[in-house]
Amino acid sequence: MKKCEEIEKDLPLYLDNALPSAEKQVIEDHLQSCPQCTKTLARLSKTRTMVNNLAEVEPPAWLKQKIMTRVHKEAEKKSLLRKWFYPLRIKIPVQIFATVCIAVLAVYIYRAGEERMKEVVPSSMPAPVAEVQKSSLPESKIKTSADKALPGEEQSIKIKERPEEMVRQADVKAKDVNKQIASGVKADEYDGAPAVKSFDLSGTDLEKKKESSAAMKAGGTPPMQSSIPKPNFLVRAANVNAAATEVEKLLVKYDAKNIVKQVAPARVTLRAELKNRKMKDFTERLGTVGMVEERVAPGTEENIPVLIEIINN
Amino acid sequence: MNSKQRGGEDEDLQYVILCRKGDANAFDVLVERHQKKMLNIAFRIIGDYDEACDVTQEAFVSAYKSINKFRGEAKFSTWLYRIVVNYSKNRLKQLRGATKNADICLDDLGELTTKGKNNPSLIDHSNPGTQMERRERENQVQRCISSLDEEYRDVLVLRDIQGFSYEEIRDILNIPDGTVKSRLSRARIALKDCLIKVIGDL
Repeated sequence: MKKCEEIEKDLPLYLDNALPSAEKQVIEDHLQSCPQCTKTLARLSKTRTMVNNLAEVEPPAWLKQKIMTRVHKEAEKKSLLRKWFYPLRIKIPVQIFATVCIAVLAVYIYRAGEERMKEVVPSSMPAPVAEVQKSSLPESKIKTSADKALPGEEQSIKIKERPEEMVRQADVKAKDVNKQIASGVKADEYDGAPAVKSFDLSGTDLEKKKESSAAMKAGGTPPMQSSIPKPNFLVRAANVNAAATEVEKLLVKYDAKNIVKQVAPARVTLRAELKNRKMKDFTERLGTVGMVEERVAPGTEENIPVLIEIINN
Repeated sequence: MNSKQRGGEDEDLQYVILCRKGDANAFDVLVERHQKKMLNIAFRIIGDYDEACDVTQEAFVSAYKSINKFRGEAKFSTWLYRIVVNYSKNRLKQLRGATKNADICLDDLGELTTKGKNNPSLIDHSNPGTQMERRERENQVQRCISSLDEEYRDVLVLRDIQGFSYEEIRDILNIPDGTVKSRLSRARIALKDCLIKVIGDL
């Protein structure tokens, strides 16, 4: 026979009728002869009844409302999530879409930039050469044997008419040559090559070849754009010729030297050498002639070579 | 008591499916069906009506959020009750941790939070004297339930108050059958001893 303690352990389950029949029988046998355990069973039963009788609480009316309010919020979130993260019902997160968008945008911007570059680059390489070729060149006083030394007409013009400008870009050695050219010394007394080299990047060899062919077909060589200086000022005026005359007057007024004028249809190019201290005033007065665009800042030497291009607006 | 919950088919399932499809209104039915039981489980575990309401709310919202995780291995209600039991246990730990009242002293006869001032259903309208007596008795029982170890209390609440079967308790608490029985056995003995201590002879 089991002890009371062991019986007591099983009594709660006996109460539930949850014991195997053999154990149940043992307990029933014990209870008949044990008032202590019978009392315990009664107490357990009473306990269960008391617990069972605990009143149920009713949910407040707002509980469901509150729950449903929050559930609807969650549902919105869920549907938003579905919209953003699975827009095509494929599990492609929105980040991938963003990445693709950025990539497309980047390509687009790159393309746009390229087009703009195309616009900018050619205009920064103006074609005074072509104009020079077309122009009658009445001012080219020093049309000397340099023509023979140089491949084409335009080359000779460059040397004669824009010596100072060339000098600025040239190395020291070439500068000497050019200065002498500028000061009226005959260009043919010198080897044309160094002078050309000073402002032409195409190199001595090429120049020499051109030299040799220059005598046979003067003026037939292709324009050499790399040697063309950019205009310092671009003046837009309604009447190009009138404006050119105005500018010319201005240059004279400000003691400009070596004024060279080249006329082409709808375009006049003026070259001159200005004193540094007159530069500022001249720039200001230039504004009265037309719309001035300063392209390349003039140098800072004593005598500044300037190139003014006047075009029709 | 829980006879309505029995039966071969889970009547909640169609609403669960609707919820999964995004129909939040279908959840309304589920709340309506189970809120009372959820609240009572929480109330008896925690011993505080307001906290129980809050926990019930949290449990339902949490259930909705993770409704896709319900696999239908057990009944939906069982799954819901498991959530509310866990939330209640956690809330009780927080509350006890916060008040540093880890052990509820049986000799402490101060007012328990189970007082039914917020709960109209606890008020018996028959007789003022009986009502007082009954409320006092319920307070004592609840206090004893609250004094039980966590694992005993859960089983006792589910079995003796909510009337769940051993199988349901096993599923809700996710413990073996034998453990359900042994815990229930000890819980009843402990509760009986507690009540004798508090009330005197039963």
